[in-house]
Amino acid sequence: MRSGRAYLFVSPWILGFVLFTGGPILATVALGFTKWDLIGSPVWVGLGNYARLFRKGSEFWTVLRFTAFYTLFSVVFSVGWALFEAALLNSRGVRGTNLFGFFYFIPAVVPMVALTFAFQLILHKELGILNYALSLLGLREGPNWLVDPKVVVWVVVVLNIYTFYAGQMMLIFDSALKEVPKELYEAAEIDGASRIVQFLRITLPAISPILFFNMVTATISSLGTSFTLLYPLTAGGPGKVTQAISLDIYHNAFKTFRVGYACAESVILFLIAAGVSVVMFATSKRWVYYEV
Amino acid sequence: MKFRVSIALQYVLMVVVAVVMFFPILWIILSSFKPMIEFSVFPPRILPSRLYWYNYAEVFAQSKLLIYLRNTLILIAGNTIGTLLSSSIVAYPLARMRFRGREFIFALILMTMMVPSYVTIIPQYILFKQLGWLDTFLPIIVPAFFAYPYNVFLFRQFYRTIPKELDEAARIDGCSEWGVFVRIIAPLSRPIFITIGILSSIFWWNEFFVPMVFINSEDLKPLSVGIYSFSRTTFVVRWDLIMAMATVMLFPPMMLFLLARRYITEGIKTTGFK
Repeated sequence: MRSGRAYLFVSPWILGFVLFTGGPILATVALGFTKWDLIGSPVWVGLGNYARLFRKGSEFWTVLRFTAFYTLFSVVFSVGWALFEAALLNSRGVRGTNLFGFFYFIPAVVPMVALTFAFQLILHKELGILNYALSLLGLREGPNWLVDPKVVVWVVVVLNIYTFYAGQMMLIFDSALKEVPKELYEAAEIDGASRIVQFLRITLPAISPILFFNMVTATISSLGTSFTLLYPLTAGGPGKVTQAISLDIYHNAFKTFRVGYACAESVILFLIAAGVSVVMFATSKRWVYYEV
Repeated sequence: MKFRVSIALQYVLMVVVAVVMFFPILWIILSSFKPMIEFSVFPPRILPSRLYWYNYAEVFAQSKLLIYLRNTLILIAGNTIGTLLSSSIVAYPLARMRFRGREFIFALILMTMMVPSYVTIIPQYILFKQLGWLDTFLPIIVPAFFAYPYNVFLFRQFYRTIPKELDEAARIDGCSEWGVFVRIIAPLSRPIFITIGILSSIFWWNEFFVPMVFINSEDLKPLSVGIYSFSRTTFVVRWDLIMAMATVMLFPPMMLFLLARRYITEGIKTTGFK
């Protein structure tokens, strides 16, 4: 009886799950075995799309390699930066952390698409303020940040520090750091341990569960939000060097209407995300705080 | 002495980080007051030569900024009302009732949070095409009425902090589950309603991908997609107008954060624990 009542409450989500998440995942898997341009009927091609994705010298390898690079280093930079910000806000003996915290978080709440226009101006090779600043420091020819293939891939991963999830992680680190017992630092201080040693020996072990949690969050978020940063900024270019899988799915599905092929790509992305989630759930006992 | 140096160093680092984080926003605002000619001077000017307000008049005249703004507000209203209604209801039994399959449902909800929207977008597009909903607001608003996992999670976490005795007493007095939810849990959960309302508004002010897929008509585009399409319609990139439009886009979420910082930060921190 009460079970039935409970399911009545949950029913909107169950319906939504079937219509907008679960059902579409199954449909994506099914369509991945077809060739379809959205107009006629889908034609069964078996594993044909996957064979094309993974054949030697296929463009998808480039996409996959960049996606792996982008995800890995977005996580490294955004997690590292968020922890650095939180550590600064929690350093002893400094004031005004409330004000600084405001500036550290503010990029997270504004539209990324607006910021991408600022990045294009700031990073312009000849007219950008960044290269001008570098020239004052003695660098005569600044990098072509968004055009040089070797440079742009690093630029786009570093820009992840301005995303919503980076701000989110900063706040989570901030509250985690506040929970580390102060006595530990006082004891270390008396023993003459430097700030850096204290950070490595006390802070890092104390927040390691949160660190791991944030790394998983960052992986999922960077996979899930790459389009919003990359599409307005580089549109996958120059050439295809910043073509993450999200952009490739969008392009194949909605620009060239190779729907079956795009669905096969989506399946690969789903497997990557599912793999990360499995790791998260499998190890969650070790790092999730159950306080209640 | 050593102590002083390290404090000073910390302040320097804190200021440098603040500048790094705020500079793009500052640059948009400063640039919005520059006439077009000042975008091609070298060395770049930090401050505009004078406050050139004309960019704002011109961007309102030359782009569909007001229409984009209206569309964004519609998306925010629809999504926020939808998710507040549905997510608050769905989360209730997950936090307050015992029933078979509860852990499974909750695990499934958490797992769907991990699925990138790019994975489900193509079948969704086909579904909405069948329904004749493409190029309308419906594909972007209707799913909100079926509860977003992230918000269900936030509601559940909040409900768990409300003392169990309250609803048990009400049940003994013969209150139905729906009555407990409407009369006791929901009124006590005002803070989380506000938090999710604010987070949802900010999210839909910023969201780019979903409207990019479902909206084609210029008259239905929200700001996020509108500024992008505006940047591509002019023959030369009109940085002066784009920056004015971007400034208009920056202020509402910044103001909201300034006014409701506690709600936003507390809401986000809940996701990190428990």
